[in-house]
Amino acid sequence: MILVVALVGMGVLALAVPALSPRFGRDTGYVLAVGFLLLGVVLTPAVVDAVASRPVEFSVPWIPSLGIAVTLRLDGLAALFAVLVVGVGALIMAYCPRYLHGDHHVRTYMLLTLFAGAMLGLVLAADLVLLFVFWELTAISSFFLIGGTGPHSAAPAKRALLVTAGGGVGLLVAVVLIIVATGTSDLDTIVAHPELISDSGFAVPVAVLVALAAFTKSAQLPFHSWLPGAMVAITPVSAYLHAATMVKAGIYLLMRFSPVFADAAAWQGSLTAVGLSTAVVAAALALRQNDLKALLAYSTVSQLGLLVAVTGVGTPVALSAATVHTFAHALFKATLFMLVGIIDREAGSRDIRELGGLRRVMPVTATLTALAAMSLAGVPPTIGFVSKETIFQGLAEADFAPWAGGVSAGLGVAASALTFAYAIRIFRGAFAGPTIQRQLYEPAWQFLAPAAVAAVAGLVLGPGVSWLEPLEKSAVAAMEAGVATPDLALWHGWSLELALSLVTFTIGLGLLLVRRRVLAVLWRLPAPETGVYFDRGYDAVEAAGRALGRPHRSGAVAAFAVWPLLALAGLGIAALVGAGGLPGPAPGTSRAYDWVVLVLLVAATAAVVRTGRALVAVAALGVVGMLVTVWFVLSGATDVAITLLLVEALTAVVAVLVLRGMPARFRPTPARRRAPAAVLAGVLGVLTAAATLAFTGWRDRSPLGDYFLSRAPQDTGGRDVVNTILVDYRALDTLGEATVLGVMALALLMLRAVATTGATGPGGPDAAGGQPGDTAGADDTAGAGGGRPVSGGAGRPAGRMLFHVMDMLLAPAMLALSAYLFLRGHYAPGGGFIAALVAGGAVAFGWFARGRAGGPVPVLRALRARPLVAAGLLTSVAVGLAPALVGEPFLTPLHATVAGVPLTTSLLFDLGVYLIVLGLLVAAVSRLGTAGLHSPDVRARRVVLRHLRESR
Amino acid sequence: MTAAIAAGVLVAAGVYLLLQRGLIRVILGFVLLGHAANVVIVAAGGMRLRDAPLLSGAGTDRMADPLPQAFVLTAIVITFGLTVYLLAIARAGGDDDPPEESSDEEDPR
Repeated sequence: MILVVALVGMGVLALAVPALSPRFGRDTGYVLAVGFLLLGVVLTPAVVDAVASRPVEFSVPWIPSLGIAVTLRLDGLAALFAVLVVGVGALIMAYCPRYLHGDHHVRTYMLLTLFAGAMLGLVLAADLVLLFVFWELTAISSFFLIGGTGPHSAAPAKRALLVTAGGGVGLLVAVVLIIVATGTSDLDTIVAHPELISDSGFAVPVAVLVALAAFTKSAQLPFHSWLPGAMVAITPVSAYLHAATMVKAGIYLLMRFSPVFADAAAWQGSLTAVGLSTAVVAAALALRQNDLKALLAYSTVSQLGLLVAVTGVGTPVALSAATVHTFAHALFKATLFMLVGIIDREAGSRDIRELGGLRRVMPVTATLTALAAMSLAGVPPTIGFVSKETIFQGLAEADFAPWAGGVSAGLGVAASALTFAYAIRIFRGAFAGPTIQRQLYEPAWQFLAPAAVAAVAGLVLGPGVSWLEPLEKSAVAAMEAGVATPDLALWHGWSLELALSLVTFTIGLGLLLVRRRVLAVLWRLPAPETGVYFDRGYDAVEAAGRALGRPHRSGAVAAFAVWPLLALAGLGIAALVGAGGLPGPAPGTSRAYDWVVLVLLVAATAAVVRTGRALVAVAALGVVGMLVTVWFVLSGATDVAITLLLVEALTAVVAVLVLRGMPARFRPTPARRRAPAAVLAGVLGVLTAAATLAFTGWRDRSPLGDYFLSRAPQDTGGRDVVNTILVDYRALDTLGEATVLGVMALALLMLRAVATTGATGPGGPDAAGGQPGDTAGADDTAGAGGGRPVSGGAGRPAGRMLFHVMDMLLAPAMLALSAYLFLRGHYAPGGGFIAALVAGGAVAFGWFARGRAGGPVPVLRALRARPLVAAGLLTSVAVGLAPALVGEPFLTPLHATVAGVPLTTSLLFDLGVYLIVLGLLVAAVSRLGTAGLHSPDVRARRVVLRHLRESR
Repeated sequence: MTAAIAAGVLVAAGVYLLLQRGLIRVILGFVLLGHAANVVIVAAGGMRLRDAPLLSGAGTDRMADPLPQAFVLTAIVITFGLTVYLLAIARAGGDDDPPEESSDEEDPR
């Protein structure tokens, strides 16, 4: 339960940010830091238990039919990462307030906290499906955090997302394969019985896919380039996600699967090879950077390589090295990022060529940087020294080939010597030499404090490394039970690894002495700019897609609609020929009055097709709609008929709004296109009729229909069965459909903004203002039809007065009718959809009367699309979640009788639907109706402008 | 029989309009195709029983199948949403015919 509290606590913290922000501003970070610490305190008993080899577990079924559960489990390994997530998270949150400026802090704080929750969930998840969900959530929050810094960050954010999400797809496939092979998604079972996977035949693909997911997430060659690119993010994000925690998720995954694959030489060999080559190459790339942040990014890639390598070696010593170095790296790398952020803020640059001599003006910052750089370089007495020595010890134990130990240790030394060299370059670059900016001074202590805590911890934990021992031992025990791990100590005698350390320092100092020549060589090396290969691949995929789609890339709908239509016709003809003819009409399906409706319907449809005048076509379309309505009434579909009637009326309103300012006549289609279109249309019409004839009318009610008819009253208390299906039986469908409508409402708002943006550009006159001759034509037609009393300001006073008076009387009546229809929905035709359409009619009527949304009723004037949609969705989902409190599935309707009045939650659910549909109507009327009369939604327009800029 | 003919006529008209020039006519065709689909779905519920599925104490023997009706009800509202969206696109000046075809007449934008 503690685990759930911690996880939910993170979510609550994230949601609290908007509430905290007005009071605390950017200092919200301090509140969040305290929140992180409190969650740490909450987690402490569980961590203590886990370290004492008593894992804490929580499990509730999630998808019982597939055996998938929400299982959280804190063992030694999870404890190690949880401590990092919460501890470093608290430091970063305390660092943010002095670092952040500008007004984006709400977004940053929310995303950072959400990421912390996702990362915590990732390490706690003991079910593979759950683990995958959190894995993706970390990638998504990383995407938004990288992409949040401006137009230039869009491309790197996209690269990071596509690379890590590509690995995520691999992980998903691996999870599916594992479930197929083992019959379970429970991580403990899988790890405890490696033979389930290794004997299944899926061992190789699973291992490859897991490694792929880990390599992409932890930026190993050749997928590393997204991580340096991600440095466009603000420094707290780089420190937290892209150094301390998220990039370690790949290491975590490898560690988790270590018990399953560790005995395979191929697993050991490939992990060690990829890890060590990444370590050496990235360290060399780091050394040649001038931008301190880019240097740190390549350094992170290199250090992650070392971690992958020791995890691959898989001996107890090597796994111990992996856990200690994971901890040490999080400490010193987060510190260095924070300090580089401070230098950047104070000196206005983080380029080595523009910095110099800062030690004289910022001595404390210089000292802290020195401490962290020592840890990075593996210099005693820091924790980095201990972890680096353990890594050497572990690498020397590699035994997947006779020569493996020696080569691995050698490459480890090479990477570490380069690391030593660039660690010194970091310090010298910023703090040594003549002081360029003498006017600078030390930052506020609040700014330095978080970095200082981490730097001092790295120093203290060198001599005090034995304090980490319980955490290290229990983490290794989680990977390989019952093995002896070496005791951790700063000094452990004259040994091979000490000798290797000395060799490392010697080479590193040698590199320092000949640094000019080394850098000259490194700078001459061909190394592509960040992400250039990725972009080439991406462009190639796009180009392939364009080439594939070129035959259909015409602007006309007909050009691409014709292909699927032809395919449909072909399929239909083949089916008809294959079936060898048609049965006669099913008996008893037509009545005399059906034929009357049909004749009228054919006539009206012909009018829609034949006319060249836009308004005539819309009017004829309305007649078709009315006839279909009649057909529904005759078929016993009363609710459907009412809905369609209202929709037809509103469609006519919207169509007339849109037709204002458009040509009154359609442009004629060339004759050479008309004849083939008619043939294709005729064929498809005949096929539709044939299929309907063959497939309908042969049986009466479905068993499901019988069930609903017989059970509705006692199940739901309702008597209008169609409405009980909508809000009780199949409420999930309805929720999905209502969501679609909400999305459409939002899309409408955005679309108008785009249109207005286009109109103000060099593109030409506004759609509403172009072609004055045509507009006048449309005006005349509209006037003759009496459908358009308001014409862009020069309205006819008399007609308008009539609408005004009608509106005064009608709008309140329509609202009352809407409320009545809504409330009776369970018992008689009505319900959320129908009632909202009536209310939408009142809104539209008000627009006709006044030229803006609303009318005499204050409520109507206050209606705005976005809040309506949001409130509707929230209401429906909240009603859906409420049954969970009494242990019922999502959207189960609850019934109660209070003082003799039957009450049901489905009425509230229906209210949500009502609000969403009304939101769509308000969006339609206000967006389409006010074009050219009122300024567009400025905020939406700004959003769209930003998107356009970024995508360019 | 009548439902089949109605659906066929609506589909033929809808497809024809879909293949015409100009977004407005395409939208008209789209609406007609929506009607056709709804007619087919209701017809699939059986056309012999035609009493509205409103329980009032009388027997349910002659009542129509309520399930297709529920499908169609939401489909109508979704079609309406799509229609409005398409109309908004048309309004935004997104007329769609390639320039070589519209050279015989001025682009209404």
